[in-house]
Amino acid sequence: MTKIRQIFLQIPSLKRKWEQFLHQQGLTSFSEAEVTNLDFTLGLYEGQKLLGTGSISDNVLKFIAVIPGELSATYFNQIVSALQSYLVQNGQTHMMVFTKPQYEASFNYVGFKTLTKTIQGCLLESGNPGIQQYFKNLPNVSNQNQHQVAAVVVNANPFTMGHRYLIEKAAQENEIVDVFVLSANHSLFTSDERFHLVKLGVADFKNVRVFPGGSYLVSYATFPAYFIVSKDNVIRYQTTLDAQLFRDQIAPVLNIKRRYLGDEPFSHTTNIYNQTLKAVLPPKIQVVIIPRLQQGNQIVTATAVRQAIAHQEITMVKDFLPEITYQFIQDHQSELLERIGKGVNISGN
Amino acid sequence: MEIKKTVIAGTLESSDIQITLSPATGDNLEIELESDVLNQFGNQIKKVITETLQKFQITKVHVKAIDQGALDCVIRARTITAVQRALGQTEPAWEEL
Repeated sequence: MTKIRQIFLQIPSLKRKWEQFLHQQGLTSFSEAEVTNLDFTLGLYEGQKLLGTGSISDNVLKFIAVIPGELSATYFNQIVSALQSYLVQNGQTHMMVFTKPQYEASFNYVGFKTLTKTIQGCLLESGNPGIQQYFKNLPNVSNQNQHQVAAVVVNANPFTMGHRYLIEKAAQENEIVDVFVLSANHSLFTSDERFHLVKLGVADFKNVRVFPGGSYLVSYATFPAYFIVSKDNVIRYQTTLDAQLFRDQIAPVLNIKRRYLGDEPFSHTTNIYNQTLKAVLPPKIQVVIIPRLQQGNQIVTATAVRQAIAHQEITMVKDFLPEITYQFIQDHQSELLERIGKGVNISGN
Repeated sequence: MEIKKTVIAGTLESSDIQITLSPATGDNLEIELESDVLNQFGNQIKKVITETLQKFQITKVHVKAIDQGALDCVIRARTITAVQRALGQTEPAWEEL
């Protein structure tokens, strides 16, 4: 008789056994940071023997492995089932998986639909609201396909003059600009705060629309390395999936023909992301790279703004920020400091 | 009646069926069924789900069913549980059983 039990990875001895098990099943390339970000891990046991395991991070199923043999499919289904009911009990009815291509069929078999795949990886989703639902919430203008549409994707953590400059450029050179604000909540500013500040910050451009990126643009599922430090090859295949998903699924729906990027002098991860976009998007989508905005002799970055918040020197970066963002930071200074105190990463993206 | 939230009942284990109810995209019952025995029993499985939903007077819902070889009584039980979860009912619906 098999039983599902939670594995508490905070306990070092259990964690060691769990890692050993994953190694035995050929899952080796995961970072400490990824493991720390897990919300829930379970094990399938026969007595004391571990037969399989699976984890959850946000709405993403991770680190699923079962022992090989006749019953491996049964064990796999039991684990996926248990993870799904955990998510649904916690009010999360949409879930995603990021896995190796050889496991695509196993997930298809239990109702997951493939969103995009490369030679190294494959991204699938299940449940509701799925990508079709996401598309329905993107209001098309009636004859969108006759317009020149460009897209800008920003985390805007927080929204700076630099973001505004990039969007302004796109707005001048195109008929419609769709701005996607990343939805993952792994940044100093929450997704609602970031979305709100972008929306207000570009309200005076009449041809700009702002959408949440949902699970499909640089999300925690498509591109975890954006939020947690990872190796270059990991970043490369994750960004490829993200770029393909944009090119094949999102861009056609909105008739997006161009994507505007800020040139990236600082962030290593974003720089690789830009290179991947340049490699994957054309010829369907033209990539336009805009040099970063400078104030005086300084380049405007949100990273500098977050550092200034941490050091309580917000006036130093006043020139970097639109009035609304600056006001917001002043009004919420103690709350932001508290988040930094709790360990939100401010030096990454 | 119409289902307005997403609920799941059942598992992906052998002999079970996982029923997910979510708001309909159109105006009627939509059933999306995945099963190894789709050709042999697909219509029968859909019939059991439809009949069970009709007993609850549900006319507008999207059903996703992932079948692992469930018997009719299991299909009925999982559908009833899903409906009851969607409607927030906690008492077993004896008359439907």
